[in-house]
Amino acid sequence: MRAAPQIKSPETARNRRTVLKQILVRVAEGDRAAFAKLYQMTSMKLFGVVLRILRREDLAEEVLQEIYVSIWENAAKFDANRASPISWMATIARNRAIDTIRRRQPDIVEDDHLMNNVIDETAKPAQLLEMSDDLRRLEHCLDGLDEVRSEMVRLAYLEGYSRQELAARFDQPVGTIKTWLRRSLMQLRDCLGI
Amino acid sequence: MSDRDEIDIIAAEYVLGTLDSAERSAASARRLQDPALDRAIQHWDHRMLPLLKHVQAVSPSADLFAKIEARIDLRAQFAKPVKHETPAANVVAMRRQIVRWRAATIGATAIAAALAGFIILASPTPTPTLTLDSNRFFAVFQENDQLPEFLLSINLETRELTIRPVNAPNMPDRTYQLWIVAEELGQSPRSLGLLNTVSTPTQKRLSEFDSSVLRGATFGISVEPKGGSPTGKPTGPALHGKLYPASL
Repeated sequence: MRAAPQIKSPETARNRRTVLKQILVRVAEGDRAAFAKLYQMTSMKLFGVVLRILRREDLAEEVLQEIYVSIWENAAKFDANRASPISWMATIARNRAIDTIRRRQPDIVEDDHLMNNVIDETAKPAQLLEMSDDLRRLEHCLDGLDEVRSEMVRLAYLEGYSRQELAARFDQPVGTIKTWLRRSLMQLRDCLGI
Repeated sequence: MSDRDEIDIIAAEYVLGTLDSAERSAASARRLQDPALDRAIQHWDHRMLPLLKHVQAVSPSADLFAKIEARIDLRAQFAKPVKHETPAANVVAMRRQIVRWRAATIGATAIAAALAGFIILASPTPTPTLTLDSNRFFAVFQENDQLPEFLLSINLETRELTIRPVNAPNMPDRTYQLWIVAEELGQSPRSLGLLNTVSTPTQKRLSEFDSSVLRGATFGISVEPKGGSPTGKPTGPALHGKLYPASL
Protein backbone atom coordinates (compact mmCIF):
# COMPACT_ATOMS: atom_id res chain seq x y z
CA MET A 1 0.00 0.00 0.00
CA ARG A 2 1.36 3.40 -0.85
CA ALA A 3 0.22 6.99 -0.91
CA ALA A 4 0.28 8.34 -4.39
CA PRO A 5 1.38 11.77 -5.51
CA GLN A 6 -1.45 13.51 -7.25
CA ILE A 7 -0.95 17.19 -7.73
CA LYS A 8 -2.93 18.15 -10.79
CA SER A 9 -3.16 21.40 -12.67
CA PRO A 10 -6.65 22.92 -13.05
CA GLU A 11 -6.45 22.13 -16.76
CA THR A 12 -5.85 18.44 -16.04
CA ALA A 13 -8.69 18.43 -13.53
CA ARG A 14 -11.11 19.82 -16.12
CA ASN A 15 -10.04 17.26 -18.70
CA ARG A 16 -10.36 14.56 -16.14
CA ARG A 17 -13.88 15.58 -15.29
CA THR A 18 -14.88 15.50 -18.96
CA VAL A 19 -13.28 12.11 -19.43
CA LEU A 20 -14.97 10.71 -16.31
CA LYS A 21 -18.36 11.95 -17.49
CA GLN A 22 -17.93 10.15 -20.81
CA ILE A 23 -16.78 7.02 -19.04
CA LEU A 24 -19.75 7.07 -16.67
CA VAL A 25 -22.14 7.26 -19.61
CA ARG A 26 -20.54 4.12 -21.02
CA VAL A 27 -20.61 2.41 -17.64
CA ALA A 28 -24.33 3.15 -17.45
CA GLU A 29 -24.68 1.27 -20.75
CA GLY A 30 -23.00 -1.76 -19.21
CA ASP A 31 -19.55 -1.26 -20.73
CA ARG A 32 -17.14 -3.33 -18.67
CA ALA A 33 -14.01 -1.86 -20.22
CA ALA A 34 -15.22 1.62 -19.30
CA PHE A 35 -15.88 0.38 -15.77
CA ALA A 36 -12.31 -0.92 -15.52
CA LYS A 37 -11.05 2.47 -16.64
CA LEU A 38 -13.29 4.21 -14.12
CA TYR A 39 -11.92 1.99 -11.38
CA GLN A 40 -8.37 2.65 -12.46
CA MET A 41 -8.93 6.42 -12.41
CA THR A 42 -10.81 6.69 -9.14
CA SER A 43 -10.21 3.71 -6.85
CA MET A 44 -7.12 5.06 -5.12
CA LYS A 45 -8.93 8.23 -4.17
CA LEU A 46 -12.07 6.47 -2.98
CA PHE A 47 -9.99 3.90 -1.09
CA GLY A 48 -8.18 6.75 0.66
CA VAL A 49 -11.51 8.27 1.71
CA VAL A 50 -12.94 4.98 2.93
CA LEU A 51 -9.78 3.76 4.68
CA ARG A 52 -9.43 6.99 6.61
CA ILE A 53 -12.94 6.59 7.99
CA LEU A 54 -12.90 2.84 8.58
CA ARG A 55 -9.29 2.69 9.82
CA ARG A 56 -8.95 -0.97 8.88
CA GLU A 57 -7.65 -2.13 5.55
CA ASP A 58 -9.63 -5.37 5.30
CA LEU A 59 -12.88 -3.65 6.13
CA ALA A 60 -12.11 -0.75 3.79
CA GLU A 61 -11.50 -3.18 0.92
CA GLU A 62 -14.74 -4.96 1.63
CA VAL A 63 -16.63 -1.66 1.59
CA LEU A 64 -14.80 -0.50 -1.53
CA GLN A 65 -16.11 -3.57 -3.33
CA GLU A 66 -19.66 -2.69 -2.32
CA ILE A 67 -19.10 0.87 -3.45
CA TYR A 68 -18.01 -0.07 -6.96
CA VAL A 69 -20.83 -2.58 -7.31
CA SER A 70 -23.16 0.25 -6.36
CA ILE A 71 -21.51 2.62 -8.85
CA TRP A 72 -21.86 -0.02 -11.57
CA GLU A 73 -25.50 -0.57 -10.82
CA ASN A 74 -26.39 3.10 -10.36
CA ALA A 75 -24.31 4.76 -13.06
CA ALA A 76 -27.45 5.57 -15.01
CA LYS A 77 -28.63 7.73 -12.11
CA PHE A 78 -25.59 9.97 -12.30
CA ASP A 79 -26.73 13.48 -13.20
CA ALA A 80 -23.97 15.67 -14.56
CA ASN A 81 -26.04 18.77 -13.82
CA ARG A 82 -26.04 18.05 -10.13
CA ALA A 83 -22.51 16.90 -9.38
CA SER A 84 -19.18 16.15 -10.94
CA PRO A 85 -18.47 12.45 -11.47
CA ILE A 86 -15.88 12.27 -8.71
CA SER A 87 -18.15 14.16 -6.28
CA TRP A 88 -20.97 11.74 -7.01
CA MET A 89 -18.69 8.75 -6.48
CA ALA A 90 -17.03 10.19 -3.39
CA THR A 91 -20.46 10.81 -1.85
CA ILE A 92 -21.44 7.20 -2.45
CA ALA A 93 -18.14 6.07 -0.94
CA ARG A 94 -18.33 8.28 2.12
CA ASN A 95 -21.95 7.40 2.81
CA ARG A 96 -21.17 3.71 2.64
CA ALA A 97 -18.14 4.07 4.89
CA ILE A 98 -20.06 6.09 7.48
CA ASP A 99 -22.99 3.66 7.37
CA THR A 100 -20.55 0.84 8.05
CA ILE A 101 -18.66 2.48 10.87
CA ARG A 102 -21.83 3.64 12.65
CA ARG A 103 -23.22 0.10 12.51
CA ARG A 104 -19.98 -1.50 13.64
CA GLN A 105 -18.58 1.11 15.99
CA PRO A 106 -17.84 -1.25 18.90
CA ASP A 107 -15.84 -3.60 16.66
CA ILE A 108 -13.58 -1.05 15.12
CA VAL A 109 -10.14 -1.05 16.59
CA GLU A 110 -7.98 1.75 15.41
CA ASP A 111 -4.72 0.56 13.99
CA ASP A 112 -2.42 3.46 14.68
CA HIS A 113 0.49 1.92 12.88
CA LEU A 114 -1.56 1.51 9.75
CA MET A 115 -2.87 5.03 9.93
CA ASN A 116 0.60 6.46 10.41
CA ASN A 117 1.67 4.79 7.23
CA VAL A 118 -1.27 5.92 5.23
CA ILE A 119 -2.06 9.44 6.34
CA ASP A 120 0.45 12.16 5.91
CA GLU A 121 -1.12 15.03 7.82
CA THR A 122 1.37 17.53 6.52
CA ALA A 123 0.79 16.63 2.89
CA LYS A 124 -0.56 19.29 0.61
CA PRO A 125 -4.21 18.87 -0.28
CA ALA A 126 -4.45 16.45 -3.13
CA GLN A 127 -5.93 18.18 -6.13
CA LEU A 128 -8.01 15.30 -7.34
CA LEU A 129 -11.39 16.81 -6.57
CA GLU A 130 -11.68 19.69 -8.93
CA MET A 131 -12.88 22.32 -6.48
CA SER A 132 -9.97 24.36 -5.23
CA ASP A 133 -11.97 27.59 -4.93
CA ASP A 134 -14.60 25.72 -3.00
CA LEU A 135 -11.99 24.29 -0.67
CA ARG A 136 -10.47 27.71 -0.09
CA ARG A 137 -13.87 29.11 0.81
CA LEU A 138 -14.68 26.17 3.09
CA GLU A 139 -11.31 26.45 4.82
CA HIS A 140 -11.89 30.16 5.33
CA CYS A 141 -15.23 29.45 6.99
CA LEU A 142 -13.81 26.61 9.10
CA ASP A 143 -11.08 28.96 10.27
CA GLY A 144 -13.84 31.31 11.37
CA LEU A 145 -15.04 28.73 13.88
CA ASP A 146 -13.54 28.34 17.32
CA GLU A 147 -10.42 26.18 16.88
CA VAL A 148 -11.78 23.22 18.82
CA ARG A 149 -15.03 23.27 16.85
CA SER A 150 -13.26 23.47 13.53
CA GLU A 151 -11.19 20.45 14.57
CA MET A 152 -14.37 18.58 15.57
CA VAL A 153 -15.95 19.15 12.18
CA ARG A 154 -12.81 17.92 10.41
CA LEU A 155 -12.48 14.84 12.59
CA ALA A 156 -16.12 13.94 12.05
CA TYR A 157 -16.10 14.48 8.30
CA LEU A 158 -12.68 13.11 7.41
CA GLU A 159 -12.02 10.50 10.11
CA GLY A 160 -15.57 9.37 10.82
CA TYR A 161 -15.52 10.37 14.51
CA SER A 162 -18.79 9.72 16.30
CA ARG A 163 -20.22 12.09 18.92
CA GLN A 164 -18.92 9.72 21.60
CA GLU A 165 -15.43 9.73 20.16
CA LEU A 166 -15.46 13.51 19.95
CA ALA A 167 -16.72 13.67 23.54
CA ALA A 168 -13.81 11.51 24.66
CA ARG A 169 -11.28 13.39 22.59
CA PHE A 170 -12.35 16.82 23.81
CA ASP A 171 -13.32 15.71 27.30
CA GLN A 172 -16.89 17.03 27.07
CA PRO A 173 -20.28 15.45 27.66
CA VAL A 174 -21.92 14.06 24.50
CA GLY A 175 -24.75 16.60 24.87
CA THR A 176 -22.28 19.45 24.72
CA ILE A 177 -20.63 17.98 21.63
CA LYS A 178 -24.02 17.74 19.97
CA THR A 179 -24.76 21.38 20.69
CA TRP A 180 -21.32 22.50 19.52
CA LEU A 181 -21.60 20.54 16.31
CA ARG A 182 -24.99 21.97 15.47
CA ARG A 183 -23.92 25.54 16.17
CA SER A 184 -20.74 25.04 14.16
CA LEU A 185 -22.66 23.64 11.21
CA MET A 186 -25.15 26.50 11.19
CA GLN A 187 -22.31 29.00 11.44
CA LEU A 188 -20.60 27.25 8.54
CA ARG A 189 -23.73 27.37 6.45
CA ASP A 190 -24.17 31.09 7.05
CA CYS A 191 -20.52 31.78 6.28
CA LEU A 192 -20.57 29.77 3.06
CA GLY A 193 -23.80 31.39 1.91
CA ILE A 194 -24.53 28.44 -0.40
CA MET B 1 -36.75 25.79 15.80
CA SER B 2 -38.60 25.81 12.48
CA ASP B 3 -39.15 22.67 10.42
CA ARG B 4 -36.67 23.96 7.93
CA ASP B 5 -33.99 24.37 10.58
CA GLU B 6 -34.76 20.92 11.94
CA ILE B 7 -34.39 19.39 8.51
CA ASP B 8 -31.21 21.29 7.88
CA ILE B 9 -29.68 20.13 11.18
CA ILE B 10 -30.49 16.50 10.36
CA ALA B 11 -29.06 16.92 6.87
CA ALA B 12 -25.91 18.59 8.20
CA GLU B 13 -25.26 15.90 10.79
CA TYR B 14 -26.10 13.18 8.28
CA VAL B 15 -23.44 14.49 5.94
CA LEU B 16 -20.96 15.13 8.74
CA GLY B 17 -21.53 11.53 9.80
CA THR B 18 -22.29 12.20 13.46
CA LEU B 19 -25.83 10.85 13.60
CA ASP B 20 -25.89 7.62 15.58
CA SER B 21 -26.81 4.39 13.84
CA ALA B 22 -30.56 4.63 14.48
CA GLU B 23 -30.77 8.32 13.59
CA ARG B 24 -28.77 7.68 10.43
CA SER B 25 -31.04 4.86 9.30
CA ALA B 26 -34.07 7.04 9.98
CA ALA B 27 -32.59 9.89 7.95
CA SER B 28 -31.67 7.54 5.07
CA ALA B 29 -35.23 6.26 4.97
CA ARG B 30 -36.78 9.69 5.34
CA ARG B 31 -34.81 11.28 2.52
CA LEU B 32 -36.48 8.88 0.08
CA GLN B 33 -39.88 10.25 1.07
CA ASP B 34 -38.98 13.81 1.92
CA PRO B 35 -37.64 15.91 -0.98
CA ALA B 36 -36.82 18.80 1.35
CA LEU B 37 -34.49 16.60 3.41
CA ASP B 38 -32.98 15.07 0.28
CA ARG B 39 -32.26 18.52 -1.11
CA ALA B 40 -30.78 19.66 2.18
CA ILE B 41 -28.49 16.62 2.28
CA GLN B 42 -27.32 17.31 -1.26
CA HIS B 43 -26.57 20.91 -0.28
CA TRP B 44 -24.49 19.77 2.66
CA ASP B 45 -22.66 17.21 0.54
CA HIS B 46 -21.82 20.01 -1.85
CA ARG B 47 -20.62 22.25 0.98
CA MET B 48 -18.41 19.65 2.68
CA LEU B 49 -17.01 17.63 -0.23
CA PRO B 50 -14.07 19.98 -0.87
CA LEU B 51 -12.59 18.73 2.42
CA LEU B 52 -11.93 15.36 0.79
CA LYS B 53 -9.06 17.02 -1.05
CA HIS B 54 -7.15 16.57 2.18
CA VAL B 55 -7.39 12.80 1.82
CA GLN B 56 -4.42 11.06 0.28
CA ALA B 57 -5.11 8.46 -2.36
CA VAL B 58 -4.14 4.93 -1.36
CA SER B 59 -3.86 1.87 -3.59
CA PRO B 60 -6.14 -0.99 -2.65
CA SER B 61 -4.94 -4.58 -3.17
CA ALA B 62 -4.18 -5.45 -6.77
CA ASP B 63 -6.81 -8.19 -6.92
CA LEU B 64 -9.69 -6.04 -5.69
CA PHE B 65 -11.07 -5.16 -9.10
CA ALA B 66 -11.33 -8.84 -10.02
CA LYS B 67 -13.37 -9.38 -6.85
CA ILE B 68 -15.65 -6.50 -7.76
CA GLU B 69 -16.21 -7.91 -11.24
CA ALA B 70 -16.96 -11.33 -9.80
CA ARG B 71 -19.51 -9.77 -7.45
CA ILE B 72 -21.15 -7.98 -10.35
CA ASP B 73 -21.29 -11.22 -12.36
CA LEU B 74 -22.84 -13.03 -9.46
CA ARG B 75 -25.43 -10.34 -8.84
CA ALA B 76 -26.31 -10.23 -12.51
CA GLN B 77 -26.96 -13.97 -12.50
CA PHE B 78 -29.03 -13.81 -9.36
CA ALA B 79 -30.86 -10.57 -10.01
CA LYS B 80 -32.94 -11.89 -12.89
CA PRO B 81 -35.07 -14.53 -11.21
CA VAL B 82 -35.46 -12.41 -8.08
CA LYS B 83 -36.96 -9.50 -9.97
CA HIS B 84 -39.91 -11.54 -11.09
CA GLU B 85 -40.85 -12.81 -7.69
CA THR B 86 -42.26 -10.95 -4.76
CA PRO B 87 -40.38 -11.28 -1.49
CA ALA B 88 -43.31 -13.23 -0.09
CA ALA B 89 -43.13 -15.69 -2.97
CA ASN B 90 -39.42 -16.15 -2.32
CA VAL B 91 -40.01 -16.89 1.31
CA VAL B 92 -42.72 -19.37 0.44
CA ALA B 93 -40.49 -21.03 -2.13
CA MET B 94 -37.66 -21.17 0.33
CA ARG B 95 -39.90 -22.58 3.01
CA ARG B 96 -41.11 -25.24 0.63
CA GLN B 97 -37.55 -26.23 -0.15
CA ILE B 98 -36.65 -26.24 3.49
CA VAL B 99 -39.56 -28.50 4.26
CA ARG B 100 -38.42 -30.86 1.54
CA TRP B 101 -34.91 -30.88 2.90
CA ARG B 102 -36.21 -31.30 6.40
CA ALA B 103 -38.01 -34.44 5.35
CA ALA B 104 -35.08 -35.70 3.38
CA THR B 105 -32.23 -35.19 5.76
CA ILE B 106 -32.18 -34.48 9.43
CA GLY B 107 -34.66 -34.14 12.25
CA ALA B 108 -37.25 -31.48 11.79
CA THR B 109 -36.80 -30.19 15.28
CA ALA B 110 -33.23 -29.16 14.78
CA ILE B 111 -34.05 -27.42 11.54
CA ALA B 112 -36.90 -25.56 13.13
CA ALA B 113 -34.60 -24.43 15.88
CA ALA B 114 -31.99 -23.27 13.40
CA LEU B 115 -34.52 -21.45 11.32
CA ALA B 116 -35.96 -19.61 14.28
CA GLY B 117 -33.03 -17.27 14.10
CA PHE B 118 -33.50 -16.05 10.56
CA ILE B 119 -36.93 -16.79 9.23
CA ILE B 120 -40.29 -16.43 10.84
CA LEU B 121 -42.13 -19.58 10.06
CA ALA B 122 -45.71 -18.46 9.83
CA SER B 123 -46.95 -21.85 10.87
CA PRO B 124 -50.24 -21.81 12.79
CA THR B 125 -49.12 -24.79 14.85
CA PRO B 126 -45.65 -24.45 16.27
CA THR B 127 -43.44 -27.51 16.22
CA PRO B 128 -44.72 -29.41 19.23
CA THR B 129 -41.57 -31.06 20.52
CA LEU B 130 -38.15 -29.55 20.48
CA THR B 131 -35.55 -32.06 21.49
CA LEU B 132 -32.34 -30.21 22.04
CA ASP B 133 -29.25 -31.67 20.57
CA SER B 134 -26.26 -29.99 22.13
CA ASN B 135 -23.86 -31.30 19.51
CA ARG B 136 -25.83 -29.97 16.59
CA PHE B 137 -24.82 -26.58 15.20
CA PHE B 138 -26.01 -24.55 12.27
CA ALA B 139 -24.81 -21.78 10.06
CA VAL B 140 -26.98 -19.79 7.72
CA PHE B 141 -25.49 -18.18 4.65
CA GLN B 142 -27.41 -15.28 3.30
CA GLU B 143 -26.47 -11.78 2.30
CA ASN B 144 -29.25 -9.23 2.53
CA ASP B 145 -32.08 -10.38 0.32
CA GLN B 146 -29.75 -11.58 -2.38
CA LEU B 147 -29.40 -15.14 -3.45
CA PRO B 148 -27.82 -17.57 -2.87
CA GLU B 149 -28.72 -18.99 0.49
CA PHE B 150 -27.30 -22.04 2.14
CA LEU B 151 -27.87 -23.88 5.39
CA LEU B 152 -25.02 -25.71 7.00
CA SER B 153 -25.52 -28.25 9.73
CA ILE B 154 -22.77 -29.93 11.68
CA ASN B 155 -22.61 -32.45 14.46
CA LEU B 156 -19.56 -31.53 16.49
CA GLU B 157 -19.37 -34.95 18.07
CA THR B 158 -19.19 -36.91 14.82
CA ARG B 159 -17.87 -33.90 12.86
CA GLU B 160 -20.31 -34.67 10.09
CA LEU B 161 -21.30 -31.70 8.05
CA THR B 162 -24.25 -31.29 5.76
CA ILE B 163 -24.61 -28.30 3.55
CA ARG B 164 -27.72 -27.60 1.61
CA PRO B 165 -28.29 -24.85 -0.92
CA VAL B 166 -31.72 -23.53 -0.04
CA ASN B 167 -32.12 -21.04 -2.78
CA ALA B 168 -28.95 -21.14 -4.83
CA PRO B 169 -29.10 -21.21 -8.59
CA ASN B 170 -27.13 -23.78 -10.53
CA MET B 171 -24.62 -21.96 -12.69
CA PRO B 172 -23.46 -23.80 -15.81
CA ASP B 173 -19.82 -22.76 -15.75
CA ARG B 174 -19.36 -22.07 -12.06
CA THR B 175 -19.29 -24.07 -8.90
CA TYR B 176 -19.73 -23.33 -5.21
CA GLN B 177 -16.77 -24.09 -2.98
CA LEU B 178 -16.84 -24.47 0.79
CA TRP B 179 -14.11 -22.99 2.99
CA ILE B 180 -13.17 -22.91 6.61
CA VAL B 181 -11.30 -20.11 8.35
CA ALA B 182 -10.08 -20.40 11.93
CA GLU B 183 -7.37 -18.80 13.98
CA GLU B 184 -5.95 -22.24 14.75
CA LEU B 185 -5.65 -22.88 11.01
CA GLY B 186 -3.60 -19.77 10.42
CA GLN B 187 -6.40 -17.42 9.27
CA SER B 188 -6.01 -18.40 5.64
CA PRO B 189 -9.15 -20.01 4.21
CA ARG B 190 -8.83 -23.76 3.76
CA SER B 191 -10.92 -25.54 1.17
CA LEU B 192 -13.46 -28.10 2.33
CA GLY B 193 -14.26 -29.07 -1.22
CA LEU B 194 -16.87 -28.28 -3.81
CA LEU B 195 -20.63 -28.40 -3.60
CA ASN B 196 -21.25 -30.52 -6.64
CA THR B 197 -24.93 -29.99 -6.96
CA VAL B 198 -27.41 -27.48 -5.69
CA SER B 199 -30.31 -29.91 -5.72
CA THR B 200 -29.14 -32.27 -3.00
CA PRO B 201 -27.27 -31.73 0.24
CA THR B 202 -23.53 -32.27 0.25
CA GLN B 203 -22.17 -34.25 3.18
CA LYS B 204 -18.64 -34.22 4.48
CA ARG B 205 -16.83 -35.66 7.45
CA LEU B 206 -14.31 -33.20 8.86
CA SER B 207 -12.33 -35.64 10.96
CA GLU B 208 -9.09 -33.73 10.44
CA PHE B 209 -10.40 -30.80 12.51
CA ASP B 210 -10.87 -30.60 16.27
CA SER B 211 -14.41 -29.98 17.41
CA SER B 212 -13.25 -26.86 19.24
CA VAL B 213 -11.71 -25.49 16.04
CA LEU B 214 -14.91 -26.18 14.13
CA ARG B 215 -17.00 -24.54 16.83
CA GLY B 216 -15.17 -21.22 16.57
CA ALA B 217 -14.54 -21.31 12.82
CA THR B 218 -16.07 -19.16 10.14
CA PHE B 219 -17.38 -21.04 7.13
CA GLY B 220 -17.43 -19.53 3.71
CA ILE B 221 -18.97 -20.39 0.37
CA SER B 222 -17.49 -18.83 -2.73
CA VAL B 223 -18.34 -18.92 -6.39
CA GLU B 224 -15.49 -20.46 -8.36
CA PRO B 225 -14.76 -21.61 -11.89
CA LYS B 226 -15.74 -25.16 -12.73
CA GLY B 227 -13.41 -27.52 -10.89
CA GLY B 228 -12.81 -25.16 -7.99
CA SER B 229 -10.59 -22.23 -7.20
CA PRO B 230 -7.49 -22.27 -9.40
CA THR B 231 -5.39 -20.58 -6.72
CA GLY B 232 -6.32 -22.59 -3.64
CA LYS B 233 -7.87 -19.43 -2.16
CA PRO B 234 -11.39 -18.12 -2.68
CA THR B 235 -11.40 -16.03 -5.85
CA GLY B 236 -15.06 -15.28 -6.41
CA PRO B 237 -17.72 -13.58 -4.32
CA ALA B 238 -18.28 -15.28 -1.00
CA LEU B 239 -20.82 -15.68 1.76
CA HIS B 240 -19.80 -16.30 5.34
CA GLY B 241 -21.42 -17.88 8.35
CA LYS B 242 -20.58 -18.84 11.89
CA LEU B 243 -22.05 -21.72 13.84
CA TYR B 244 -24.98 -21.34 16.15
CA PRO B 245 -26.19 -24.06 18.48
CA ALA B 246 -29.35 -25.79 17.36
CA SER B 247 -30.59 -25.58 20.94
CA LEU B 248 -31.56 -21.94 20.72
